[in-house]
Amino acid sequence: MQLQLFSILKSLDPRITRLPQVGEVKPKQPLDQLGTFEVFVQAKEGKPFQHEGCVHAPTLEMAYVLAKETFTRRFTCTSIYVVDTRDVFVSPTTEGNQSAYELISSNFQTGSKETYEIYQLAKRGKQHVNVGSVEAGSPKEAMWLAKDLFGAGKMVYNIWAIKKNKIRYTTTEEKDLWNTLPEKKFRDASDYKGGDKLKEFLERQKI
Amino acid sequence: MHTEALKELLYKIADDLLIIGHRNSEWTGLGPLLEEDIAFSSMAQDKIGQSYVVFQMLNNLGEQAPDTVAFTRNANQFHNCQLVELPNQEYDFSLIRHFLFDTADALRWEMLSHSTYEPLAQLAKKIKGELRYHTMHANTWVKQLGSATEESISRLQNSLNVAMPYALGIFEESPFEDEIISAGIFAGEQELKNRWLKKVEEVINQTQLNLPDLKIITPLVGGRVGKHTEHLQPLLDEMSEVFRIDPTAEW
Amino acid sequence: MYGGGNTFEGIKTDSIAQEDPVLLAAFEARIARGEKIEPTDWMPQLYRKQLIRMIEQHAHSEIIGALPEGTWITRAPGFKRKMSLMAKVQDEVGHAQLLYSAAETLGKPREKMIDDLISGKSKYSNIFNYPTFTWADCCFISWLVDAGAIVNQLANAKGSYGPYCRALDRICAEESFHLKYGHHCVIYLASGTQKQRDMFQEALNRWWPPMMHFFGPSDKISAHTEILMRWKVKMGTNDDMRNQFLDMYVPKIWELGFTIPDPLLKKNLKTGKWDYTEPDWAEFKRVINGDGPCNKERLEVRRIAEERGRWVREALKTPSAQYVMPLA
Repeated sequence: MQLQLFSILKSLDPRITRLPQVGEVKPKQPLDQLGTFEVFVQAKEGKPFQHEGCVHAPTLEMAYVLAKETFTRRFTCTSIYVVDTRDVFVSPTTEGNQSAYELISSNFQTGSKETYEIYQLAKRGKQHVNVGSVEAGSPKEAMWLAKDLFGAGKMVYNIWAIKKNKIRYTTTEEKDLWNTLPEKKFRDASDYKGGDKLKEFLERQKI
Repeated sequence: MHTEALKELLYKIADDLLIIGHRNSEWTGLGPLLEEDIAFSSMAQDKIGQSYVVFQMLNNLGEQAPDTVAFTRNANQFHNCQLVELPNQEYDFSLIRHFLFDTADALRWEMLSHSTYEPLAQLAKKIKGELRYHTMHANTWVKQLGSATEESISRLQNSLNVAMPYALGIFEESPFEDEIISAGIFAGEQELKNRWLKKVEEVINQTQLNLPDLKIITPLVGGRVGKHTEHLQPLLDEMSEVFRIDPTAEW
Repeated sequence: MYGGGNTFEGIKTDSIAQEDPVLLAAFEARIARGEKIEPTDWMPQLYRKQLIRMIEQHAHSEIIGALPEGTWITRAPGFKRKMSLMAKVQDEVGHAQLLYSAAETLGKPREKMIDDLISGKSKYSNIFNYPTFTWADCCFISWLVDAGAIVNQLANAKGSYGPYCRALDRICAEESFHLKYGHHCVIYLASGTQKQRDMFQEALNRWWPPMMHFFGPSDKISAHTEILMRWKVKMGTNDDMRNQFLDMYVPKIWELGFTIPDPLLKKNLKTGKWDYTEPDWAEFKRVINGDGPCNKERLEVRRIAEERGRWVREALKTPSAQYVMPLA
């Protein structure tokens, strides 16, 4: 195969000297930005899902594929799911001694029942954590119902309600995605024990 | 106990994984999208990690240590197929290669999970999750870009046409083919190729891409017996540049 | 990884006078109570602007920071180093992803930030404008530049903006791998052959001046920086960060028998702080303004990467997906 390889940059990085020439920066259409999707991770079986961040992606399925390595390449995890940011309904955020549930009014519309996953923010600066799900006819109704079910006796500064049927879950057979080689320890600090080598070196210096 | 045949099999598996992992790692920090940059790098790391374990198996069969074998041989001692040593080129080619190679790789390990050679069967089970991700990633991307814009479709089509003769080189048969099959170590390249074709077709049929007519393609073989393109030796020289400063030193 | 070296000089505080005093008081009281600010909260314009600037620069530093170490990604010696370096450079890209998302919650899309990076409008950490001549330079970065970044990031993780703190918590956890890995590499060079030792000593000689620049010039404490400190945007002075770094790492470098190329470097027992030769701030300014050994290459590589990826991103666009600000 004939390959046209250009050397445009003189670099210490052999990868860079192999980069092909690209033209001048063309003025581009605003926003080649994709959609945003929120990522939720379950650290251990039986533990609640927790919000970890977002990815840019064109579709829910692509978001799932990209979220997997972006958020769970290192820490142990049993499952993840993703949802379009627009499918997360968000309550107002409160502070001090006011719970976000106090701002949810009973004045809501309702429709045919659907399942909503409920997330709560227990402390500003921390992650939103899943507390369970409710059957409701609208997001507001879901939050209203969640108040009695999950809101009693604790401070909640923000509530999210997510329609279950909008979520891309990890299927049971996909759970082996996180069964990987034990050799993958190379991503953990614990795999770099230089202590013995250092000690041996220091001993040698003394002589 | 079929040692020579087994070694031949292990070398080609290990070399494939090392070289494709190396090539794909070149994208790190230069990918088309941050999230994809991360995903591609993870898969490259998986491949290198897997090759390391196979080189350890070889070590147990009397071959030299993984670092020595990987970092000091010359191109004509490598058994990888030529597909994996080709330069990355643009993302379309890297993606198509990843799709064609990983489809075969996942099927190979699926077959190896039934191997009578216990270490291979065990490794096959351990890396099942990694392989699931690699094929899921490849299929999702090929389906997406293979039915998107005129440019993406024609880029992927061109890369598919260029890569196909090399991809068929994955299935170059070994002189020990009959022995390996009858000993139940591996069901053979021909069987693998048949399964591969079915999977590749299944995905390509869900896109606007056309699978090149395999009847008129001559597979580019030779990699398995140490015949390589002009791209492999420079890759190896680069990979071992630091290691060769002092191969006896610990780095 | 990211150096402080934030110079907040020249910011205009005039806008504060136009803010609603009731909202402003509530905002300041929340920070004083130790509560974090979340994206949907009211915040002063100045706070938003400075945070975007800071988080964006941090994100750029990660994505550009992947390049000097990436220089050795295809040449790492041996399986173990090969996998570790790949994972490490990947983490830098991952950190950029997290940080761009945190900045996006303040209203600036990732794409706009990357455009501003490529056009030279936004800055990134100065240290990445220096070249990695040998494997040992790469080890220097993995160990000591990351160590410096951790000093900075641990401080910033106590800041007031929720999404930035969350991102930093994740990042700091990953940095502990970088630091250990980097130290491990350097221990092996130190205890290896004379050639290996020389390699690292030379790298140390090259990288020490930029390392001292890393934390930025002494802050001029002004009314402006006081506000940013009160709002927990800026979490410590550049000199404090530098001193903390020297405290933690100079002994470790000396322990390995290397010579730090600064004859004046020593701990002043009276002040408890380190004395050192004043870094060449003229050089720092020159490099930050574009005249360093690698500025052109770094930006050009980023530009090429963006251009090469453009057809991919264009092909990925679907009418159903729409950019919105991430939630948290």
